[in-house]
Amino acid sequence: MPPVKLAVVGGGPSAFYVTSRLLSLLKPSEAPSFRVHMYDRLWAPHGLVRYGVAPDHPEVKNCTNKFDDTANDPRFRFFGNVNVGDTPLTSIPHTHSLPLRSLLQNYTHVLFATGCTLSTLHPAIPPSEYCVPALSMVHWYTQHPSHVPPPDLRKISHVSLIGNGNVSLDIARILLTPPHVLEKYDVPTSVLDVLRQSAVKHVSIMARRGPLEAAFTTKELRELMNLPDASMVPLSSSILTSAPEMTMTRQQRRTLELLQKGSKNAYGSTPKTWSLEFYRSPTGLTPPTSSSPLAQLTLAHTELDPRTRRAISTGETSSLLTSLVITSLGFHADPQTTFYDPSLGHLRALAGRIISSSGTAIKNIYASGWSANGAKGVLASTMMDAYAVADIILSDITPGEKGVQTTATSSNPDMILSSEFQLNPNPHVEDPPLEILEGLKNGTVTTYDDWKHIDAEERRRGEAMDKERERMSWSDARTFMSQRAALH
Amino acid sequence: MSSSTTSLLRTCLRSSSISRQATHGASSLRALHTSSRPALNAAQWKRSSASAWLQPRQQSILANRTRHMHTSPALAHGSVTRPAPGTGIKVHFKDAKGEHLKTIEANEGDDLLSLAHEHDIDLEGACEGSIACSTCHVILSPSHYDLLPEPSDDENDMLDMAFGLTDTSRLGCQVQLTRDLDGMTATLPSATRNMFVDGHKPTHH
Ligand SMILES: Cc1cc2nc3c(=O)[nH]c(=O)nc-3n(C[C@H](O)[C@H](O)[C@H](O)COP(=O)(O)OP(=O)(O)OC[C@H]3O[C@@H](n4cnc5c(N)ncnc54)[C@H](O)[C@@H]3O)c2cc1C
Ligand SMILES: NC(=O)c1ccc[n+]([C@@H]2O[C@H](COP(=O)([O-])OP(=O)(O)OC[C@H]3O[C@@H](n4cnc5c(N)ncnc54)[C@H](OP(=O)(O)O)[C@@H]3O)[C@@H](O)[C@H]2O)c1
Repeated sequence: MPPVKLAVVGGGPSAFYVTSRLLSLLKPSEAPSFRVHMYDRLWAPHGLVRYGVAPDHPEVKNCTNKFDDTANDPRFRFFGNVNVGDTPLTSIPHTHSLPLRSLLQNYTHVLFATGCTLSTLHPAIPPSEYCVPALSMVHWYTQHPSHVPPPDLRKISHVSLIGNGNVSLDIARILLTPPHVLEKYDVPTSVLDVLRQSAVKHVSIMARRGPLEAAFTTKELRELMNLPDASMVPLSSSILTSAPEMTMTRQQRRTLELLQKGSKNAYGSTPKTWSLEFYRSPTGLTPPTSSSPLAQLTLAHTELDPRTRRAISTGETSSLLTSLVITSLGFHADPQTTFYDPSLGHLRALAGRIISSSGTAIKNIYASGWSANGAKGVLASTMMDAYAVADIILSDITPGEKGVQTTATSSNPDMILSSEFQLNPNPHVEDPPLEILEGLKNGTVTTYDDWKHIDAEERRRGEAMDKERERMSWSDARTFMSQRAALH
Repeated sequence: MSSSTTSLLRTCLRSSSISRQATHGASSLRALHTSSRPALNAAQWKRSSASAWLQPRQQSILANRTRHMHTSPALAHGSVTRPAPGTGIKVHFKDAKGEHLKTIEANEGDDLLSLAHEHDIDLEGACEGSIACSTCHVILSPSHYDLLPEPSDDENDMLDMAFGLTDTSRLGCQVQLTRDLDGMTATLPSATRNMFVDGHKPTHH
């Protein structure tokens, strides 16, 4: 096998699952010169597993044990705080930017696993003092390096979530769970302080379609139903019946049953309440006035087009008084990423390969995970996709070789060796680009070993406070690392 | 590449983004579960359980998996104690095509996910047996499925999202062996090979 030095852009689950598959299928004896270098713009690895997954879902984060195993392979290196791209990342000023050209000159193959890092916004209600995208909430409670300011929950009694996907339900749950339940998890102290002062009494979760089209999954709905201090406004039975001719999936049937049963606590018996509002789509938001302290959200009433199953307006409208609107409509990739296709909302990729603007697959450049497919699916589906992409890469780097079995499709598509995106067939075997070597020297680029020390310290600090971990910010982590260096 | 292929590619790309509807129904989530080697072999599993990186909760989950006491004369297999040949509960593992992979012998109380890892059978356990994912989904022989206690709500919630769900599907981590399950078959689920985009048909070998 000729030397293969793969750069992976992004350090989330997709990046790790592809890498783990490649490293376990290519034994060091069979492919002695195989190397993987992974880059993330954040100083800590694991993408949305660290900066997305809700703190009260610690089991989901068990997948990082497998990522740690992958990172233990001597053929693997991680470089954090490195944004691959030609424009500096303004939201995280301390991050290095590494031009793609630099990467191409130092690697034989590149995989994009950059995820979908931006919230999709609603055209009728742009972000304002009274309307924030879901990601701002998630970044706040996970202490994401982009440093979003906390919501002033002391002044917020009624929250309106637009969209009923799992991210929306995550946010509702964090707002409705008593802080003493959350404090044992990986919730930063500063976040708990804000939650302890919360004035939130009601969370309204709105969707433009019906219960059978709901985007949440049963587990997340059940978690809301079982909250200790909250109850759901019962749904009218007319909404909870399905057309007799319709055959429901198992998930739809179980969702309906759960909605009919309602919350564990009876409505009205709890300090906090929540509601699911179906067939509602926002059309505008009027800020509070001197006479009305709440903002007014205007909603179009909708119904399903029986043919397309999309939401169409019935012509009726209503309005709702609310303190804060949170739009949770999904995510798209960063338009600054090379190969971003605005009509798709993610990178132009097909069957694991990056596609040029003229529609041909570009040789040796790949994409996986949310960056390639859009922001859909749970970790299990991200893993399946990653294994398929790893098999495509293997079929390219070990064509026809015995011993390495892949299930990649045998017919490779037409591919071009792009002159614009030319890789280096013989790069330095071990070294990353010069800029990265510099960053490693001055401690501004992080390694996986750095992360493991910080990870252990976060857990240690957490243990002292009877919680899973106490998160560090980049400046905390830097201080900790330099103190550690001084001791050794 | 011809221009018609180019436009086909473009159509495929479009349809992949438009079909977000497809992501929520378990049945429409098409997956690729292919493997030629175990993703997490027994040695790695042990290494990770010994790792000081684990938090206490995770350690106790892993401890549970190796805790089960043996009821018959035992032989050591790695660090886990295995029944003497001929004395254990027999489980036949089959791949998605129904081809026999391995017959293993287990102790009472062993769960299928731990057994699969111990015997290098390619069953993932992303959440390590805490019922927070559906990666260890297996299909059981109907007569043995009927002998098991009903799945919990939590397990059913995860099965909702499993690929290739059947009437006798369970999460491997939740199937604990008893004597009367002797001779059970556990088949890995079949899933289509292509989950990249709608409309893209891979050619098979
Ligand atoms: C809020 C939220 C909660 C979720 N909770 C769950 C859950 O409980 N259970 C579950 O199964 N699934 C959950 N998911 C889904 C799961 O997180 C995704 O399936 C998975 O993270 C997708 O993996 P990925 O690697 O493609 O993307 P990501 O996890 O987003 O990783 C992409 C990485 O690339 C990096 N990056 C981006 N651009 C660049 C660049 N130019 N240079 C360098 N690095 C870059 C990013 O910093 C990021 O770390 C959740 C998703 C969200 C949004
Ligand atoms: N615990 C977990 O397992 C977990 C947690 C978080 C996230 N995730 C996964 O991550 C993925 C992303 O989750 P998500 O919640 O961000 O997205 P999502 O599941 O795609 O949900 C988006 C929601 O926004 C609505 N929407 C989109 N555009 C709209 C518009 N213009 N007007 C009104 N409503 C609009 C959608 O309604 P329509 O359906 O009508 O378009 C839908 O209700 C999902 O696959 C999810 O399962 C999983």
